[in-house]
This record gives sequence, C-alpha cells and structure tokens, in this order.
Amino acid sequence: MKNKILIPLIVAAIPALFTGCATDAHYVQTGDKEQIVSLGQINIQDYANAANAAVKEMLDSGAIDKVANPPALLELSRIVNNTSQQVDTDLLTKKISIALLQSGKAQTKTVDSKATGYKQEGEFMNDQKTTRMPDFTLSGKIIETVDRAGNTRRTTYSFQLSLNDTKAGVQVWEGEKEIGKQGTRSSVGF
Amino acid sequence: MKILKLFSLVLAGGALALTGCSTVNTVENAQKEGQRNMISDQRVITDAGLNRKVAIVGVNSAMTPGGLLKVQVELENHTHSLQRFLYHFEWFDANGMQVNNIISASVPEQIEGKESKFIYSIAPNPSCRDFRVKFIEAD
Repeated sequence: MKNKILIPLIVAAIPALFTGCATDAHYVQTGDKEQIVSLGQINIQDYANAANAAVKEMLDSGAIDKVANPPALLELSRIVNNTSQQVDTDLLTKKISIALLQSGKAQTKTVDSKATGYKQEGEFMNDQKTTRMPDFTLSGKIIETVDRAGNTRRTTYSFQLSLNDTKAGVQVWEGEKEIGKQGTRSSVGF
Repeated sequence: MKILKLFSLVLAGGALALTGCSTVNTVENAQKEGQRNMISDQRVITDAGLNRKVAIVGVNSAMTPGGLLKVQVELENHTHSLQRFLYHFEWFDANGMQVNNIISASVPEQIEGKESKFIYSIAPNPSCRDFRVKFIEAD
C-alpha cells in the first residue's frame, strides 16, 4: 500500500526536478554574475577585462599624450594568437581603439578601403601629400598556458600588448594582463 | 562507534575550515612619503553581508599626466577567508550625465583573508567629474 502511494509520488517528482534545473533563455549583460566561465577558452568577459586593464594602464602612463600634434594617431598592428583556439583579435583591439577614441587621446588610422581611396583621390586632385604617419602602433600576443593536477585544470591567458613609437622605434608602453581560470569543469558564475 | 564517527566528522570539518582560511601578513614603510588625496564618499549599502566581509576603507583621487581623473578605492577583507566579488565603475560629467564607456564591464576581483587591497579606474575622458563604484558579491 505504501509503495502504491510512494511510487507515483516519486514519478511525479522527477519531471519537477528537471524543470527546476532548466533555465529559460534570457538576455544577459557582459560580465554579469551569471557569466559562463569556460576552462578551455577565452570568454567574452576575458577580452573586456584585458582591454580594460590595457586602456587603464596606457592612459595612466601618459605615453600616448607625448605627441607633437594631439590626439595621437594609432595604427593597430598584429596581435599574435598563441592559443589553441581560433581568436578574433578585434574582440580585444576594437575595445581598446574605441576607448582611446572616446578618451580624446588617440585616433585610429582607418582600414576602410573607401575612406583611404577618397583621401588619396583628394591628395591627387589638390597635388598634396598630407599623409600623416601614425605616431604609434599597437601590437601584442595572446598566450595560453595549461597546468593540470589530477582532475583540476588551470588555464591562464596572458594578453601582452605593446605601444610602439614609430618615430623613435621604441616601445613606449607595455602591458600584460593574465587571466587565470581553475576548476574541473566550466561553470556559470565567477 | 558513534563517537568514532563524530570524531572523524569533526576532524574532517576542521581540515576543511583550515583549508578555507588563509590570511595575509603585510609590512610597509612607517614614514609615508606620498600623500593620498582622500575624498569624502557617500555610501549606499544594500548588501550588508558583503559590506561586513569586504569593507570600503577609503577613496582617493589623482589626475593622470593626460588630465584624466583617476580614482582608487581601498578595500579590506574583514574575514579570514578569500572573498570574491565584482566591481564596476560608472562615470559622470559636469552635468551629472553618465558618460558612455566601452570599457564598462564588471571586473572580477578576489581578496585574501584580512587583506587590504586597492582597486582603481581611470575616467574614460577629461569631461568626467564624478564617479560611482558598484560591488556585487560572488555566489
């Protein structure tokens, strides 16, 4: 008799249990409390944090202020990807160039072919050579290091960036942000 | 038998508690050369639990060489265990309007037991006059 009551109860409880675990799709903000922390890959908030650190350090150093004609002209150079995954480096560099543009401290040299074409056409028509060389270039590297101890895995992503003075040929600022994640599996929350 | 079980449980609990607790010892120069420009702050505490664990000690500001406002917040972990939280800076111009900032993501941070730590941010542009820092405890 007891079993007759207990079994239907258990059967009814199982779907309820699964419903409780399911999460309906909803919009989230980058870097919120619910962010997914992946052990084996760079998450969107990792790019934001690396860019945040780079911009803060770069602006704090004052290196970008030392130009004859402010705002400085910046050209984005190569970001080497030394990780095991395919990385769109624009996720890092675009945030940095937008932040520098918003600060009023630097402008980025356009990579748009149409804009460059119009500029060259204007120079040709007016017989002018007014091309301004970039004051700085921004280059860097993303490196992945993996350590294991039993089931625990630690992945560290090092975002190394250099601001290079094109006239002097020296690096006027260098920054490195290490983002480390450790655990046995990816999780939600930080 | 019961006592043996209880004893092993207490031992296991003690070991866990010891693993979770590690505090920080510090040393610094007594005669300070630098002078911090401390600013009076206004606090809104909605998470008293977080405030009890990780307290705001003080806020100071300075200007960067390029004329941007730099704000530094000193935090102190009042507990004996590591605490994780997110912080987020917001910036406002002279009219009190919030300034759009691409680098506005919340930054994950952790602080060891009894550790004192500084976090800082730089205003996104020279028009920024005021700021607000938000703290959220990790689950």
